[in-house]
Amino acid sequence: MTQMLVKINVNGIEREVLVDPDDRLLDVLREDFGFKSVKEACGTGDCGLCTVLMDGKPVLSCLIPAFQAKNHKILTLEGLNNDPLMKKIQDQFREHQAAQCGFCTPAMEIMGWHLLNRKKEPSKQEIKEAISGTLCRCTGYYDIIDAIYDAGREQ
Amino acid sequence: MEQPLLNRSEMIILQPSSLKESLKVLNENPDAEIMANASDLWPRIRNGEVRPKKILDISGLTNELSYVKKDGNVIKIGALVTVSQLEGESFVKEKRFSAFVDLISKFGSPQIRNVATVGGNVCAASSSEDFIPLFLALNAKVKLSSVDGERYMSIEKFLAGKRKLNRRPNEILTEISFEDPGTGYGSAFEKVGRRNTLIINLVNLAVVGKIAKGKIEDIRIAANRVKGKIPERAKATEEFLKGRELNEETLSGAKKVFEEELILTDDVRASATYRKALLITMLERLIKKIGGVQ
Repeated sequence: MTQMLVKINVNGIEREVLVDPDDRLLDVLREDFGFKSVKEACGTGDCGLCTVLMDGKPVLSCLIPAFQAKNHKILTLEGLNNDPLMKKIQDQFREHQAAQCGFCTPAMEIMGWHLLNRKKEPSKQEIKEAISGTLCRCTGYYDIIDAIYDAGREQ
Repeated sequence: MEQPLLNRSEMIILQPSSLKESLKVLNENPDAEIMANASDLWPRIRNGEVRPKKILDISGLTNELSYVKKDGNVIKIGALVTVSQLEGESFVKEKRFSAFVDLISKFGSPQIRNVATVGGNVCAASSSEDFIPLFLALNAKVKLSSVDGERYMSIEKFLAGKRKLNRRPNEILTEISFEDPGTGYGSAFEKVGRRNTLIINLVNLAVVGKIAKGKIEDIRIAANRVKGKIPERAKATEEFLKGRELNEETLSGAKKVFEEELILTDDVRASATYRKALLITMLERLIKKIGGVQ
């Protein structure tokens, strides 16, 4: 097995990790670095629950080979722990009870955060489009949409 | 013939830092699988459908292959331009290219659009790739680069069959280009699947044409399937439509020609009958859209 040394900046910290050629960014984030907010559900790019920000853009960490993440900046929900906008979003998620099982919540909050960073007061349609690639099997989405909507208005 | 690799953790990853270096590495390793941002290839490697021994990772060549530029009358798109990058390009916002807007808004999901590349979509060479029909309707060309130089080929010729490309083993697709058809032209794209986001299309259809004063001066039509398993032009329907007045008689005639031209087969996702009905309805809708009728 040919392991490769890959340098990745995760949540603002430069890290080095030995990866196998078939490791996914998802594996590295969860297993090597312990960022468990990044969830694996489908593992094939369909559900959006492994969403992280790569160089500021939402991507699916299950579809990214770990060796391709080298020299990129990755942000997971853990990296936004002290972010004021993320706190507002999370407060609104609590307010609206927008999490039931909670498994999709990190990905939903990241998509909401990314949207609100680009557009302060998005419409509900824009929110729907932003989370259109992120599946929730409990809430029916409306509480999530309302939470992101209100977090935007509260800014 | 060499046996395929059974253990994917034994793959050899080649990551050159420039296009020139990549072409040299590919020339020395013509058996390497070329990987851009991997959104199509990676799941197929992970599930064992593709078992490459070597991967040539060109995703780092964004400095060289992520451009969109207009050279005279020709629009050139670097192979590594992502779908979301294309969305922000100025030419896409011009009315005659509204097919790009139609296509991009329905492409994958927001997360997929940030990684999926235009070159990768073309090279995946299957009926589920949305850019192929549009590029076919735009008479696009691909640029193939190798240590021996560069050559251009029509996208029609480049697509040799399902997941098959007319590419020499030492060549990389580096650019897709097409002539700006100019003002007076319009374009439209539509696809149908089971939901709006994250679908594999059942059918898609791209139409580029010039309809002036109610007359169809020029029209090019491409669907994800016409006769075979990959996207193709519907040339009989195009020939029927060219030069005719845009009216109900022309449209019903075109729908009949299109129906005869379509040789589809059933598969797990939809029946041929359903696909045909969709495409025929979409054809009328897209022609009317370009013609500015309702």
